[in-house]
Amino acid sequence: MIKQMRRYEGWFGVAAGLCIVSGLYFGLVGSPADYYQGEVVRIMYVHVPLAYTAMLAYGALFSCSLWYLWKRDLIVDNMCQAAAGIGAFFTAVALITGSIWAKPTWNTWWAWDARLVSFAILLLILIGYLMLRTFTEEKERAARYAAVLAIVGGIDLPIIKFSVEWWRTLHQPLSISTRGLSIAKPMGIPLVFMIVGFSFLFFYMLAVRTQMLYLTHLLEAKKGRLLGEVHL
Amino acid sequence: MTWFHVRWGGVLLAGLAIVFLGMRHYQRELRAISPLQLREEAPSGTIRVRGLVLPGTLFPGPGPNEARFELEGDGSKISVHYKGGDPENLRELKTLVVIGRWDPGSKLFEAREIGVVPNFGFVTAAYLAGIVPVGLFLFWMEHRVAFLYREIRDQKVYEPGGDEG
Amino acid sequence: MSFFNVIRWITWKDLISEFRNRENFSSMLFFALIVVLIFSFSFSMDQTSGREQIPGIIWVAFTFTGMIGLGKSFAAELHNDCLDSLQFSPAQKGAVFIGKFLANLLFLLFVELLLFPMFVLLFNLEVLEKLPTILVIFLGGSVGLSAVGTLFSAMTVQIRAREVMLPILLLPLAVPLIIGGVEATAGVLRGDPFLLYAHWIRLLFAFDVIFLVVSFWAFEWILDT
Repeated sequence: MIKQMRRYEGWFGVAAGLCIVSGLYFGLVGSPADYYQGEVVRIMYVHVPLAYTAMLAYGALFSCSLWYLWKRDLIVDNMCQAAAGIGAFFTAVALITGSIWAKPTWNTWWAWDARLVSFAILLLILIGYLMLRTFTEEKERAARYAAVLAIVGGIDLPIIKFSVEWWRTLHQPLSISTRGLSIAKPMGIPLVFMIVGFSFLFFYMLAVRTQMLYLTHLLEAKKGRLLGEVHL
Repeated sequence: MTWFHVRWGGVLLAGLAIVFLGMRHYQRELRAISPLQLREEAPSGTIRVRGLVLPGTLFPGPGPNEARFELEGDGSKISVHYKGGDPENLRELKTLVVIGRWDPGSKLFEAREIGVVPNFGFVTAAYLAGIVPVGLFLFWMEHRVAFLYREIRDQKVYEPGGDEG
Repeated sequence: MSFFNVIRWITWKDLISEFRNRENFSSMLFFALIVVLIFSFSFSMDQTSGREQIPGIIWVAFTFTGMIGLGKSFAAELHNDCLDSLQFSPAQKGAVFIGKFLANLLFLLFVELLLFPMFVLLFNLEVLEKLPTILVIFLGGSVGLSAVGTLFSAMTVQIRAREVMLPILLLPLAVPLIIGGVEATAGVLRGDPFLLYAHWIRLLFAFDVIFLVVSFWAFEWILDT
């Protein structure tokens, strides 16, 4: 599977580059500013794709975790770990860009909005996942435990989203409306380009990071054997 | 290894080109000047002027989507005659951008569009914060992968055909 | 050993061993009281804004106390290789899970029932006629917390930094329980009509059912040899 990754990853990378560059062009130059938000709405073209890709990363983590528990293939476990790392990274960057968008729009760096809070919890779950992998001693056990955590978390995330949404509709101040912009057609096209581009980028990064993890483990294992010891 | 350098050199060049083009686009079409600069420079063509709508000067114009008001900024003020789309954004004591032409003779600014004050600082910050870390992360990973493949080849650890990847 | 015998035996073992030395129980109780006291200093209890925090304080106390009990649940098995015995025994792992879960649940409920009169006294709550509803809410929250908590306690007991990893993993996942518990309790204490907060109780029980099943299934992977 690693060989296939190496062969086809380039296509994803090129597709990502093309989509993102065209998306940036259409978004920054080719589309109008929002009537209410002004130029700041252009942040949507980088924040929303990041958020979607973060959720895509968790979807990949969830599926790969199920796959691992079924097949116990170590490369699948590397994919899990890769998806989690990339997911945590994208979630953090999505939260930062979201915060930068919030300041001129709602005049606050952070709002207790349902989606922002759900995203923060997603980040906590992913960081917990990475910590679990770091702190578990044996590789096989780490893979198993992490897969269970990813699956439990994946089932929990929709429930978390609902409960936070219900909670916010209770306490939401009336002035802040999170759906304050209606996506006009010229805005939809660059957004789609960017989302598709970032998705391609995610798969490319997943391939690269999986290879990185796999090769690192391979090197460690082989080095151990070459030196006469067996590390596992 | 060299393909890696070519690829990332290309990405860097593309990034620099985008930044350069972006800055040029900003200078030509997005930058707004203040009324003081307008009076001093008196540029021709379509200009963007940014200022505060002075209270007590806003009067709905003769036509349906028309208005007259005074715009103040940098200690200088100009008279604006607006004729264009729905002027809902037009309110007294609000800072906004008017887009139109300047008539140096009658010292009147004929505006056909009103825009909300652009926050380019935030937009730039968001794009930098969003794209640069991702690029750096990807660069670091690719660099490491290239290094690992080289290590494995040098140590003759990877047995092609034997150990399946 | 049959399935139900295993459950009964394990639950009984945990309860008896705790009853004999009472060390978990006293530390949990004491910790909860300290949490409540410290929160009382943070909010002014006389004004209405302070009183609005009371359901939150109650559930924070329950959650953190639950963490302590859940953490010790499997930590006690580390001595004398009890954990290995559980792993290698022919008993079905699902039964081990339910046994542990029930012990944790009963334990947590017991502590909550002891703490609640103290809350009533400290905060001057009027709850006599609403008592059944409140108990249902406590049960709903505790079942979910014990279910996921038992699973993760078994997981974290064998890794480094175990005491800090359990809250780190469990608390984000328990967010629906905390939100549901706090909002439902707040509704009851405010005297709202039942329909206004009923959906929170439904949320708690939906979470309980879903995660009892999921944890039951996942436990097999944790104690796998």
